[in-house]
Amino acid sequence: MKFTRRQFAALAAVPLLEPAAPAQTPPLFEEIPPSQSGITWTHHNALSPEHFLPEALGPGCAFLDYDNDGWMDIYLVNSGPSDFFQPTKPLRNALYKNNRDGTFTDVTEQAGVAGGTFGMGVAVADYDNDGWPDIFVTSYGNCILYKNNHDGTFTDVTAKAGLKVPGWTTSAVWFDYDNDGRLDLFICSFVDYGPTAHRSCGQNQLGLKFYCIPRFFKPTASFLYHNNGDGTFTEVGAGTAIAQSLGKGLGVVATDINNDGFMDLFVANDTVQNYLYVNRGPDKAGKTKWKWEEIALPAEVAFSAAGQPRSGMGVDAADVFNSGYQDLFVANVDQEMFSLYRNQKDETFRDVASANGVAQSTRLLSGWGLKFFDYDNDGAIDLILANGHPDDMIERYSPTVKHREPLLLFHQAGGKLTDVSATAGPAFTRSYPARGLAVGDFNNDGRLDVLIGNNGAAPLLLKNNAGAGNHWLGLKLEGVRCNRDAIGARIRWSAGGVIRSRLKNSGGSYLSSHDPREVLGIGPATKLDWVEIKWPQPSGKIQRLDNPPLDRYISVREQ
Amino acid sequence: MNYVNRFLLAFLLVAAAAAQTPAPPSGEAMLKQAISLHQSGNIPGAIEAYKNYLAVKPESPLALSNLGAAYSKSGRFEDAITQYRHALRLQPTNAPVEMNLGLAYYKSGQTALAATTLEHVHKAVPNEYQPALLLADCWLAMGRNKAAAALLTPFAELHPDERALAYILGTALIRDQQLEKGQIIISRILRDGESAEAHLLLGSAKLSAQEYPAALQDLARAVELNPHLPYVYSWYGQALLRTGDPLRATEAFRKALEANPFDYTANLQLAILLKEDNQPEEARQRLQRALQVRPRDPDARYQRSTLDLQTDHLEDARRELEALVKETPAFTGAHVTLATVYYRLKRKADGDHERKIVQAQNAETQRRQQSGENVK
Repeated sequence: MKFTRRQFAALAAVPLLEPAAPAQTPPLFEEIPPSQSGITWTHHNALSPEHFLPEALGPGCAFLDYDNDGWMDIYLVNSGPSDFFQPTKPLRNALYKNNRDGTFTDVTEQAGVAGGTFGMGVAVADYDNDGWPDIFVTSYGNCILYKNNHDGTFTDVTAKAGLKVPGWTTSAVWFDYDNDGRLDLFICSFVDYGPTAHRSCGQNQLGLKFYCIPRFFKPTASFLYHNNGDGTFTEVGAGTAIAQSLGKGLGVVATDINNDGFMDLFVANDTVQNYLYVNRGPDKAGKTKWKWEEIALPAEVAFSAAGQPRSGMGVDAADVFNSGYQDLFVANVDQEMFSLYRNQKDETFRDVASANGVAQSTRLLSGWGLKFFDYDNDGAIDLILANGHPDDMIERYSPTVKHREPLLLFHQAGGKLTDVSATAGPAFTRSYPARGLAVGDFNNDGRLDVLIGNNGAAPLLLKNNAGAGNHWLGLKLEGVRCNRDAIGARIRWSAGGVIRSRLKNSGGSYLSSHDPREVLGIGPATKLDWVEIKWPQPSGKIQRLDNPPLDRYISVREQ
Repeated sequence: MNYVNRFLLAFLLVAAAAAQTPAPPSGEAMLKQAISLHQSGNIPGAIEAYKNYLAVKPESPLALSNLGAAYSKSGRFEDAITQYRHALRLQPTNAPVEMNLGLAYYKSGQTALAATTLEHVHKAVPNEYQPALLLADCWLAMGRNKAAAALLTPFAELHPDERALAYILGTALIRDQQLEKGQIIISRILRDGESAEAHLLLGSAKLSAQEYPAALQDLARAVELNPHLPYVYSWYGQALLRTGDPLRATEAFRKALEANPFDYTANLQLAILLKEDNQPEEARQRLQRALQVRPRDPDARYQRSTLDLQTDHLEDARRELEALVKETPAFTGAHVTLATVYYRLKRKADGDHERKIVQAQNAETQRRQQSGENVK
């Protein structure tokens, strides 16, 4: 039916009907409360009057498909007994099985992954290439490696694997540094906080104790464990730049900053400079087996623009600007602002946080978990930041900095990030003591959801409703000659006349582990021309899929 | 600037009174007319009349000095300086003229020159309270807090009720971390009841003691009581910055600069905020102003070099940073930035050398922090 102009004018002038109520559109990210999800576990931060620093740093969280049913399950890390804390009731980590209907069931006890240490973070990967994800838990105290038994249970193989890592470990990342097809393990070590190093900071004007700034503690060397392929690991950082660079590591991402096919490491340190370990391959000088070069200062990612070390916490890497090179991100504490480092393609970076509004939005925030991801499947990389000040008494010192802080969401369009938190939903108007953050698609709708670990509080599960009308393809990569998780794979795809690429990085965020599948956003294009996968070494083969299907997950096995 | 204006008025009157002494017959009427116009507040008229007189008698120290005062009154400080200097070449020991020259330097932001001139005046008239007060204010602006405190302490005993003196002395003591002595001055001011000066001093003392929220309260009250008090917005801005409110700190620094465009701290802090906010042009202007006040100041020079790095003026940054690390070898941030500049200039060996220094200094800093006081 067509209206004449006069008829249309008449309709406009005399409303015949009451205007319909506006359609309720769901927020971009919708909080799924525990009553709905069934995730009733809560983090216990062991808060004490003495304010021991480990209380303030957890927890991490993970999306993983522990039972290989194609649905993302959830793992949450908790505090536990330590030399400064004896819980009055048992505390445990939690594994929640996805019921495929938006709800989860606690299967921790059956699975045997309750922990028992003063847990910090989690890194999930298939280290033994058996097709089943294993769980590594970092702690203040000893770490734990849980090997997946393929039947819904796990076995603690820490001692057998040679991974009784001492001290205070935080984020960890699985990656294949020597391209032998087996995942190795990098573990961030924070400060020397042994029983004799416990110190309490106080005597301030309030007469109260508060969390010591980490600069009061000795830095430590992080660990690199080589996967021997027989279920055991050997520490190989000794003698390399990794052991020589004493730091206070909190966040790590494994990526390839120079596209040389070797995975590098970017480590965020608290109150000392960040480290960028570039993987130079086998050591031709023969001093060590493998050569790592620490280049953060020449690469311009070590210090602030004023030459100061900052309180680096969360990190991530992605080809944000579609240049074919990996850009970096690091979150810091309030007043320091966060940095978005654009790759200059020559092993140097420029901080473009100000030009993207990131510096301004983060000036008063302290950032932990964070992730580059394409939340609306338009093909451009976006960014989410989880924040919270580490000091629970900060509001007594500062009228503008809060202990609980809001999440931030940045959307990318035309190579520029814009803060869209104000329109992202009610969850972005609230504040949280956020720490870990993991990204994963728990309802398999192709939209990456978000899980946040809150310090001393319940986790936050956010369902992604964004990107209506945009199409996608989810890839579950299965390495055969390369590592089974295909970490280090390069994916290119063409849709709507645009070619995009992605490197399958590992780690990123803080204390957390993500959905291992890659979701390729193609926007409104109705056809995906092709997808090309360059498998990591040792095969390095390129595999092409022509006219793949849309809006579903597919498995791709290395051929 | 209240105190400065008061000094200026005082010395103008000295100059004007001197002008009433008998003048040579030729041109006497012209000079009388000029002085009359000056005293009646017709400054443009007075300037023209003095210039007419000087066309006839170009070597009259009195006319030159009064013309300088008229220029100064109308904000033409560079012209005033030219006249004062001419007058002083003719009469090198004329303390009032030298004082006016010092004031003109001060008001035009040439603080170091003002201090040098006022030191000369102070030596000539050591018991005069006002030149000493202005000299101390210059030294405060230049960061010579200890010298300012030492200069004013004897005068404070002679003039216990002089609030301006107490205020400047208290500021100098607090900035020099002589907090106990500063507290005595504050108490003296507090005896007169609540005042902006007292809150400013209390606030600045608390800021020095890192009691930021309490400092903010005092400084906000000082602003409320007297927004025209010298440096009040500058201190307030620092408290806002320390308590995490950069937007209002920016506003405060801008207000501080409205009152005194040569406020070193306000210029420097605003420049840093502007630089962080990706506004390099205005940041550079602010840094130039800060460096006008403190030409060799390492902080302002360092900030300018980071701005040069940010805007790819690599050779400018290199020159400044090389000088800075030579003068201040323990300035780790300068070594970091110099290393970065060298790497960008493809001078890897030089970059590596600076990097080693950074690593050594940071390791030493870490060692000191571990064994240092358990304070936040």
